[in-house]
Amino acid sequence: MDPVFRRRLEARLGSKLSGPVRQRHDTTEIRIAAADVTDVLRTLHDDPEFRFTFLADLAGVDTGTVMQVVYHLWSDVTPDWLRVIADGLSRDDPRVPSVTFLWKGAEWQEREAYDMFGIVFEGNRDLRRIYMPPDYTSFPLRKDFFLADDAARSPGAGVRHMEQVHVPRGAPPASAVRRIPG
Amino acid sequence: MTATSRRPPADDPRVTLDEELGVFEPIPPYPPRTEREAEFYSLGDGEMFINMGPQHPSTHGVLRVVMKLDGEKVVDLDPVLGYLHRGVEKLCENADYHQTISQVDPLEYVSSLFNEWAPVMAYEQLLDIEVPRRAEYIRVLSGELNRISSHALFMGWMALDLGGLTPILWSFIERDEIVEMLAALTGQRMLFNYFRIGGVNGDLNHDFMSRLGDWMTRATQQIESNLTLLNENEIFVRRMRGLGTIDSETALRMCWTGPNLRATGLPFDVRRAHPYSVYPELDFDIPTRAEGDCLARYLLRLDEIKQSLRIIDQCLDRMPDGPIMAKLPRLLRPRPGRAYAAVEGPRGQYAAYAISDGTDQPFRLRIHDPSFIHLQSVGLLVPGHLIADTIAVMASLDPIMGGVDK
Repeated sequence: MDPVFRRRLEARLGSKLSGPVRQRHDTTEIRIAAADVTDVLRTLHDDPEFRFTFLADLAGVDTGTVMQVVYHLWSDVTPDWLRVIADGLSRDDPRVPSVTFLWKGAEWQEREAYDMFGIVFEGNRDLRRIYMPPDYTSFPLRKDFFLADDAARSPGAGVRHMEQVHVPRGAPPASAVRRIPG
Repeated sequence: MTATSRRPPADDPRVTLDEELGVFEPIPPYPPRTEREAEFYSLGDGEMFINMGPQHPSTHGVLRVVMKLDGEKVVDLDPVLGYLHRGVEKLCENADYHQTISQVDPLEYVSSLFNEWAPVMAYEQLLDIEVPRRAEYIRVLSGELNRISSHALFMGWMALDLGGLTPILWSFIERDEIVEMLAALTGQRMLFNYFRIGGVNGDLNHDFMSRLGDWMTRATQQIESNLTLLNENEIFVRRMRGLGTIDSETALRMCWTGPNLRATGLPFDVRRAHPYSVYPELDFDIPTRAEGDCLARYLLRLDEIKQSLRIIDQCLDRMPDGPIMAKLPRLLRPRPGRAYAAVEGPRGQYAAYAISDGTDQPFRLRIHDPSFIHLQSVGLLVPGHLIADTIAVMASLDPIMGGVDK
């Protein structure tokens, strides 16, 4: 944990942060709105007091209620990983600006998040499926996509096949979908 | 009839292989969906498409690369992934914490210990566990051995992809000794399933130690003698020099890590940049090279082998006594939370991002794989080179398709 770094983040990004800066073990976590992704990541990347030039990871997350895009960044100004969570994307139409203008290497990671969650990265010039076949219609890592042999949940949800359209036809009861509190 | 209408519906079980539109047709039978796809699949004057893979032996697995050629020059290329996709992340969400270790094992199957290491570290952060020091030293020891075996295999493959058949046979001798050693320690030759949440599965045993001691006495000399086969081979060196060059700024923008990034001159190594396990106590250097070409990437891995041998020496010297597992309940239910852990694998930063919802299964386990990241730069490095050089550039990035496709 790096309290100095937390104060610096709060001072520089204060108005953009939704919620407090959290720190646990070797990670500092901030949450921002999807619309602020371009601004905040550009600040973190370019500002000489942050210098987060290294994108360690880009991941999509389906919390069961909202979608999130999670960026992990590394810089030599702090011993912590910085986790930036673009929070509150709607599950029906998740959209977030692409970061390929900063890291070209994020292109495939965004394609993967699109393939698995259906998150649309605006500005990514090659946003097509990367693992699943091009005519595939569902998004496998979403929480309403059940594995065929997931006996604990699927029979109640009436799921017969692994592949479903965006929202399953016999929409599963709310209690069947795993959720985390944010 | 248009190409689109001839295509059977996605879930039609009567799809036959002798259809006119083969599965591996280079031009997809649908209109382009993105800007980039439209640009790639429109041919200029005198250009043609050719398919390499997915069964091509030089693609290190099942990768299909669609190449746009002008004569023998590659103008552009489009890697097509997914032939080995197993949905490991989804499977992990439906397995309990201990079971996920064997799920992630076959990702980068030539360096399985690193595949286990990152998720296990993330889980330990979720659970706030301290790992016993002996277990940490055993992890480092076995991990560095695994790194050497992976690099040894890389060197053989590299030469094989350039057309030399002998080095891979030699490097398999090296690898086999290490693999047998690790088999004595972990019980398996390839997918070790050895790390546990809170420690490791078994203590050092006599068989392992005697094999290791035996090997260490001649390792340096043996590796050096293997290397003269390639390093002093003029054809090999001249072929590799100046091929697939990248500068450090571009490499950072392409999110490169590991030996490939260090070959451009940036001394970024997760073991030093974000220390984990007992690496802060160990003394080793981070070799770098400034050229950023295929030869630099190849030579850098040789330097890394020497550093790994140094680390192994120190681990054996300092190996503490004590337990190899933390005391933990059988069924793990971490508090809700998130954890990110990264290790320096033989190919670069191998990371896991785990989210817990308080049950005994991870809510989400994201695996970040360096092979996946490096492979996407092929499209940046190759244009302008010949087809045979495409294969050399791809081999020098050392992608493992098991990890790329997850």
